[in-house]
Amino acid sequence: MDVLIADDSDFMRNLLREILEEEYRIVGEAENGVEAIELYEAEDPDVVMMDIVMPIRDGIEATDEITDTDPRANVIMCTSVGQEQKMKSAIQAGADGYITKPFQKPSVLDEIENVAT
Amino acid sequence: MQVDIQSLETFNRLARDGARSAAASLSELTGIDTNVEVTNVSLMAPADLRYEFVGRRFSGVHIGLDGALSGETVLMFDSEARAAVTDVLVPSDDPEMERSSVKEVGNIMTSGFIDGWAEHLEAGIDITPPDYVEGSGAEVLPTSTLAGDEQVFVFRSRVEAVSDAIDFRMCFVPERAALTSALEAESDDTVAFEKLEVFNEMTEQGAAKAAGNITSMTGLETDVEVNRLSFVPIADIPAAVGDQPYVGTVLEYHGRPSGYLVILFDRPSARSVVDALVPTETDGAWGEMEQSAIEELGNIMTSGFIDGWANVLETSIDHSPPQFVADMGSSIMSPVVGRMARDQDHAFLLDSTIETDDDGVFRCEIFALPDGDELREVLGELLVDRADEIHADPDEVF
Repeated sequence: MDVLIADDSDFMRNLLREILEEEYRIVGEAENGVEAIELYEAEDPDVVMMDIVMPIRDGIEATDEITDTDPRANVIMCTSVGQEQKMKSAIQAGADGYITKPFQKPSVLDEIENVAT
Repeated sequence: MQVDIQSLETFNRLARDGARSAAASLSELTGIDTNVEVTNVSLMAPADLRYEFVGRRFSGVHIGLDGALSGETVLMFDSEARAAVTDVLVPSDDPEMERSSVKEVGNIMTSGFIDGWAEHLEAGIDITPPDYVEGSGAEVLPTSTLAGDEQVFVFRSRVEAVSDAIDFRMCFVPERAALTSALEAESDDTVAFEKLEVFNEMTEQGAAKAAGNITSMTGLETDVEVNRLSFVPIADIPAAVGDQPYVGTVLEYHGRPSGYLVILFDRPSARSVVDALVPTETDGAWGEMEQSAIEELGNIMTSGFIDGWANVLETSIDHSPPQFVADMGSSIMSPVVGRMARDQDHAFLLDSTIETDDDGVFRCEIFALPDGDELREVLGELLVDRADEIHADPDEVF
């Protein structure tokens, strides 16, 4: 399974890569929403791990554009934001799952399996 | 009870003027030049006030107030300040005379502090004879703060000597009924006291979530030790944070309310956090990955802190990516308060202290500065019955 990571934090991209690369192929890492959209179009990943708070374009806007272009896209919001209104906005944008940071490795892997199967 | 914001500003100014008057009295009596560093009014749990004084020894005077504004004041000198005063006033080694001098100095200073209030209220405030108090930590605090868990309004001033490393503190705790009457709404610019209390409790839960996030990410066992909501002149905020070096993050949040959030670790705590998050050898500087780790921790703590507000208020609050900072506390806060000072001269400051449970080695301060007008609007709309709805579960929403 191919996974795209979108997070503006070097530290969090590193952490997610370490967690995911044993199980999946990491096809790209984006630092903002615009890069996430470009990398999605270029790499066509099976799952996107999408942060919400990012510069230039946030993760909900990027998810909206990705799922508009590809309604079959699997996007998991992977964010520190635990606000119900944001969760609803993520659903409206087409997100399939939502993980709040800080997370444990099993919950990340479970969410990917749930969303991708 | 409606708290009139303009009255609160006026009372804050009275407290500051009172502290200046007290400081001037001290200078006249002893020749020690002083500056009033910080004056604010805080809404806080008595236990949080007591915690601030743990581990330090103070002496001073306790005076009860009655009449137009009833309550208690305590003027406290730390050990160095007491010695500076008694060295001037009692050259001989006479402990009884030293206590008497502290008592009289405290009496004169407290009278200076109170006079402005009486003048403003156009009524008399009776004061009891001064009681000399001496002890560690909470032993010297007003008796009304030694029991119970009902939040109290506390007017506090910290005064420092210009040339010596000494300071004294004034602590005035009015009785709630008296304050209610004194703060009676004179304008439409009011906030319900009950909602201020609820908002403060929501913030404490947010700080507890932020503390839990530190523990989850680093393994350091932490807890919220102090939480308070202060109403403070914006210009005083940098001095309130102090000149100690800090490492942390600054970010701006947008929504209702909008404002700034500053998370500061003292340097050893920041190093502990980074060592737990980025377990590699470093040269002691804050490298890119270490800065990123601090920023990400700040990001996660911020969400823990403000998500509860958004959930209770049924709104969303966005925040900018956190910006890494490493400087003196006052230098970090200055640009933030500079931006806020364009629109307001007083601010509500939400301040939480997170520490390790036992040894106090780890310390982190969270400062939230919401826009004043927006906070008042939000508090007006706050449904107290929803105060427990701070958490949202993605599994229930998705």
